[in-house]
Order: sequence, then structure tokens, then C-alpha cells
Amino acid sequence: MPGRCNKVLVAVLLALGITSASAKEKRPPEPRPLIGTPQLVRDLHWGDVLFYFYQGDYLQALTRLGAAQDFERVSHHGVEAELLKGGLYLSLGQHEEAGRIFKALLNDNVPLDVRNRAWFYLAKVWYQRNYLEESAIALASIRGALPGDLEPERHLLEAQVLMYLNRYDEAIRALERWQPVGKGGDVWSSYARFNIGVALVRQERVEEAAELLNEVGQIAASSEELAALRDKANLALGFAWLKANRPEDAKKVLQRVRLEGPQSNKALLAAGWADSAEKKYNKALAPWLELRDRDLLDAAVQESYLAIPYAYAQLAATGQAAQQYVTAVEAFAAESQRIDQSIQAIRDGKLLDAIVENDQGDQVGWYWQLRNLPDAPETRYLYHLMATHEFQEGLKNYRDLRLMQRNLATWALSVQAFDDMVDTRRRAFDQRVPGLQKTLDGVDLDAMETHKNELESRLAATERDDDVTALATSREKEQWTKVQQIEAVLAKADQNDPMVQEMREKARLIRGKLLWDFNGSFKARQWRARKELRELDVAYKEARRRSVLVERARGDYPARTEEFARRVASLPPRIGGLSARLEATAQAQNRYLAAVAIKELESQKQRLAAYSLQARFALASIYDKAATSNTAGEGGADKGGAQ
Amino acid sequence: MLRQSLLKITVTLLPLLFAAGPAAARDDATAPSETAVQLADSSAPASSPPQGDNFKSLDEEVQALKKEVLDLNRELFVLEEELLFPANTQVAVFVSMDVGEFFALDSVTLKLDNKEVANYLYTEREAQALLRGGVHRVFIGNLKAGEHELIALFTGQGPNQRDYRRGATLKLEKGVGAKYVELKISDKAVKAQPEFVVKEWE
Repeated sequence: MPGRCNKVLVAVLLALGITSASAKEKRPPEPRPLIGTPQLVRDLHWGDVLFYFYQGDYLQALTRLGAAQDFERVSHHGVEAELLKGGLYLSLGQHEEAGRIFKALLNDNVPLDVRNRAWFYLAKVWYQRNYLEESAIALASIRGALPGDLEPERHLLEAQVLMYLNRYDEAIRALERWQPVGKGGDVWSSYARFNIGVALVRQERVEEAAELLNEVGQIAASSEELAALRDKANLALGFAWLKANRPEDAKKVLQRVRLEGPQSNKALLAAGWADSAEKKYNKALAPWLELRDRDLLDAAVQESYLAIPYAYAQLAATGQAAQQYVTAVEAFAAESQRIDQSIQAIRDGKLLDAIVENDQGDQVGWYWQLRNLPDAPETRYLYHLMATHEFQEGLKNYRDLRLMQRNLATWALSVQAFDDMVDTRRRAFDQRVPGLQKTLDGVDLDAMETHKNELESRLAATERDDDVTALATSREKEQWTKVQQIEAVLAKADQNDPMVQEMREKARLIRGKLLWDFNGSFKARQWRARKELRELDVAYKEARRRSVLVERARGDYPARTEEFARRVASLPPRIGGLSARLEATAQAQNRYLAAVAIKELESQKQRLAAYSLQARFALASIYDKAATSNTAGEGGADKGGAQ
Repeated sequence: MLRQSLLKITVTLLPLLFAAGPAAARDDATAPSETAVQLADSSAPASSPPQGDNFKSLDEEVQALKKEVLDLNRELFVLEEELLFPANTQVAVFVSMDVGEFFALDSVTLKLDNKEVANYLYTEREAQALLRGGVHRVFIGNLKAGEHELIALFTGQGPNQRDYRRGATLKLEKGVGAKYVELKISDKAVKAQPEFVVKEWE
């Protein structure tokens, strides 16, 4: 079973094309990287999703993928993410959601290979929901080949769908189109030939079927899976030959079935019937007696309890026949009693817990399978039932519901922490507001703006008036003022005084020097002043922007905190409500599966009762014959020794 | 899955064939012909895909419930991050592996500004997930804007199954947005040694 789960995983991986390009060659059964679909993790959060997906933790992978999409963190893997999401929903049994996602990928904006994979998965969804026509159409919509192992899977699925639609010829053609009949020794080829063979048998084309089933029945089985397939092929062909009244041919192929294997009981029973058909009852007894010593849980073994006395009766060993019928009646009665115990155990509600406790896996998943059935009164008769799709689906649902209950219980603990966090946010804000207010109060942005505007006006006036002195340094301004003061004093003095004249000349020179300097540096000073004003403007605007942000944050932060509080407060009732519904639904699922199991056990009981009735009838018939013969022989001894 | 489904086909089709054997053998009143049919029936599991109505309605209820739980999970996950690790202070550290021929990862220890913030021991399954392209978010936390120092210590098995311990240091500048750091373990084929690369993502 674990192998089967892995195959599912591999299939999904391949389907999604997210097999790591770096898978090592030396590592065993790793899926091959897909040609043409190199997978490079271009968003870390995409890799984060894959980390859980590769571990089979689909619930976690789906949760993280949804969150990553909400945060827009997987933008480089948009299409791939949707495909994976569809696959994850499918793996969790969410057919509708998966179907919706796959359908959305069927547009011209999506690359053909993705569209093909979407068609393929949509076909699977429809197949699982029993929309077989739609499934066939979806499969027919695939253009070109699918990557990796998806291609054989696609053709086999197509054949499977067509067979369910009773379109056997088309199924055969679909398989032959993909895999030339009789070619290839790989697993897919063997399955293909087996399926074609079975389809041909159903078409009553046994000769053609025999060719294929014979091949599969003699493949070199390198694995248990192939060995099991080989057994099935031999068994199928054996029964086909029996039905065609060719017991000799049947025996040849039935003898190829392994003596210890899942098909061995049926093969032994059939081998006996083949001998019996040739009236070789002595030979028929050999496989049937071998069967009788096996586990009575198996229907073939149960039937051997009737077949053996039947053979003895045909051999006129009526005494032994009678004895075997008595043994059969007793065995069936004991078995029936054990079934009653099982039914009672199931009615006591022990079935699912016994099964689920036995499984060590901790992931939800639609493909979840039981690894081993526990040996308990509740489960020992249910091997056959467990293999059914319906029971498996129900069981997986039950297990998923229980896992989700545990998942919500964990979140419920986190919600308390969320609540504390919201309180912390409130307190932290209250503590920070006074300091913030103080800082804001110390800044008068309007005054700053007025000042800045004033400076701009002054510079504009300077430029307009060409006032070179306006941009002088404070030292120069001081000097300029002094010159003006000196000139004013000298203007009032005696202009004929040579000293005054000399002083005026010096003042004129200094004034000229200063003006020269002012003029020389005016352009540069003007440019610098403009630059500083621009910088001031930028700084001012930034200060204004930050001020707006702070003001907004001061308003928004509490609102956001309250929004968090509202979201957190809404959680406990939702979690509580869902947990209660999970519990109720799990119980409903339990009851439903128990009913299914009991129905199955009842039918097994009925079968045992029917066997028992036949045994009693046969026994009575033997007694009758013995009595008649005794009467006819007037007390002659019974050679068969019937008691 | 497919093979599993095929097995179902097989088992579904086989009963039809099974009925043949006993039918051929039926030549006497005591021949258990009826039992043969029973055997055939017992071999047939509920065929896939057809299912019963009860199952479908309950299944639909379960699916609807699961969908609600999945949606709630996503909401909780998003809320947790928004509340506990707001984008302006968020820092997250991820571990990734490329090939891993020369290094088998056991654990990663992280120190932020000389304070240990994570010490993660990898299971075999997690290490395999990394090798196949998964990326593990080993740490998520909050950092103030400014310069910080991140030290990562990797332990595991290096070439020739020898214990291996290596460190990598990064000076990281935390701005206003979330900061992501990837610790990438890759193979340096030329030197037949593992290589530890630290990469910043915005």
C-alpha cells in the first residue's frame, strides 16, 4: 500500500511537472524530471508549498499555497500554482473545486502542455464522479503527448472509461493506438495487454484474449506488483477457458498461479473445477483439500468445504462425502457465529477506531489507503469490503474529518495567542501616542512653509533686481555696510580737504572691489541658493508627507487593530461550530460505514447459510440414498460408510 | 492510482469470468452451482466509479465541510502572519538544497544578532522534500529597520559520510518591506564539496 501511495504522489508530481530537476540518479525510484518542463523555484514561497507537498502533507500545502496566492508571492508560478491547487483539491476529494480550477486552465492563454494536463485531470475528476461521457470527451481533447508516465496513464484511463461505457472495441483500439499489442515488457505494457485481454474476453473473443493473457501470464515478474498481475492474467484466462468448456487449457494456465498469493485460493478452486469438468474427481480433490486447510474467511475456501464432499459423492464414497458435509455444516455454523460477534463489535462502534488507530499516517488525503488491516473481530471479515471504492472513500472521509478536528483544535490554541497579540498592539499604541504627540507638537510645518516661501520670494526679487549684494556672505555684508557708512560720513565732510578726498578714493576702491567680487560670484551664489531652496522644498515636502502618514497611521492603527480584533473574535465561534459539525459528520460517516460493513457481513452470513443449506440438503440426499439402498438390499452394509 | 484503478477493473471484470468455472462443472443436483455464483459475487467489489446515493449525499456534506475547514485554515494562516509578523518588520529565512550529492543535511541553527532564533533538525522525509525542490521556511520573525547579522550553521554528512559542519554569515540590511533570506546548499562538483550560498530576496 505505501508503494501505491507513492505512485499516486509520483503521478501527481509528474502531472504537475514539478519534479525537481535536481533529482539524483543514484537515488532509487525517483520520478524522472520532465523533459521540457524544467522546474526552477523562482518564488521562495512556491518552494515552501512544494516542501509540504513533497511530504504528502496536502492540507498544509494547500493552506500555504492559498496564503501565498493571497499575498501575491507566487507570481512566477501562476499557472503551475493553479494546476497544483487543482491537484491538491482533487487529492482531498474536492472534486468540484478541482474541476472548477482545471476548467479555468482551459483557455488559450495557458500553454498547451498545461492545458493538456488540465484536460487529463479534469477527465479524472469526471471519471471519479461517474461522468463517463464527459471524461471520454476530456481525454479526447488532449493534443499531442502528455509528459512522462502521464502518457501511458492517459491511454489506460481512456480505455478504462470506454470499457465502463461498454465500448470495448474502442477501448481496445485506444490501447492499441498507444501500445502495439504484444510489444514491450514494461509494467504499463503488461497492464495494457491484460486490460485488452479482459475486454476481449468480455466480447467473447477468447482466442484473441488468450494470446494476450498468455503473454502477461508468463512475464518475468520483477516485482510483487507484476507477479500479482501475472496471477490475475492466468486466473482470468483459466476461467475464460473453463467457461469455453476447455478444462484442459484452463488447468495449464491455472497451474501458473503462485501457490501462495492473493489469487491462489481462487486458482486452486478453479483448478479443482477443471479436473471435475473432466470427471477426474480424484485429481480435483487435491487442490480442494489444499484449500480446505486455509483460512475459512476466504470465500473460495468456504466453497471448497462443499466441493470436497461433492467430489467424494461423485466417487461414490458416500460415507466420506457425508462426513465432509457434516464438517462443512459445523464449520459454517462456527464461522457464522464469529460473524455475529463481528457485527456486534461493529454495532458497538468499534469499527473505524480499530481501523484508523492502526494506520500510522498523519496526512489527510483522498488517496489515503490502509496499510494493514488490524486483526480484530470488527475487521477480520472486511478485507473484501475494504477494497471497495465506496468503503475506502468513506473511510478516508472519516479519517480526514478526524485529522481536521485535530487541526482545528491546534488553531483554537493559537487564537488565544492572537487575542493576546491584539491586546499588546492596543497597549503599545497607547504607550507611544504621548511621545508621538510631543514630537508632532514641536514641529510647526506651516511656519516652515511660510519661511520657505519667504526665502523663495526674496531670491526671486534678488534675481529680478539683479541685486548682487543680496547674496553676499555676512562678512561681505558687514564690509559693504561699513563702506556705505564711511561714504555717508565722508559725504558730510569738507570735500576740499585732501585727506577726505583720499579717503573717498579709498572708499570708492573698496566699494568697487566688493562690487566686483559680488558680481563675479553672483551667478554661482544664485545657483547655489536655488539649489538649496530646492533641497529645502524637497525636505519640506517629505516632512509634510511623513506628517500625513503619521497622522493617518495614528488614525488607522487603532482601526487596524480593531479589525484584527474583529477577525480574531470571529474565530472561536467558527472554529467551535466547525469542530461540532466535524464531530457530527464523522459520527454520521461512522454510522454509515458501520451500516455498509454490517450489510456486507450479513451477506457473508447469508452466503454461509446458503452453503450450509446446500450441505444439509446434500447430506439428507446421501442419507436418503443410503436408506433406500439399505431397504433395497434388505440390511446390506453401506460400502461408503455413511453415518 | 491508475494501477489501483486498473486492479479495480480487473476485480470487477473477473467475477464475470469466475462464473464460468462452476457453470461448466454443473452436472449434478449436488453440484454447488449456487455457491459458485455467490463466490463470483463476493469477488466483485463495489465497482468504481458508481456509488450509492447515501454515500453521495454524505460525501457531498463531507466535501462542503472540508472546504470550509480548508478556507478557515487559509484565513488563520494569513491572519497569523499579518498579526504576528507584519510586512514592515517581517524577516523570514528559507533553506533549500540543490542536488545534495556531497552533503546530507541533518540540522540548521540560526543566530540573528548573536541570538539563537532557530535550531531545526530535519527528518528523512523533510530532507527528501528539500532534495526534490522544496524550500523550507525555517524561521519567521520581526526585525527593526537597519543592519543585522545572520549566522547559519549547517550540520550533516559531507563527502565520504564524514560529519560535516559549516557556517555562513550575512550582514543584512532590513528596510521597510519584508526581508527574505535563502540559505542554499548546493554541490560544487569541481571541488567535490558542498557549497553554502546565502541569498537575499526582497
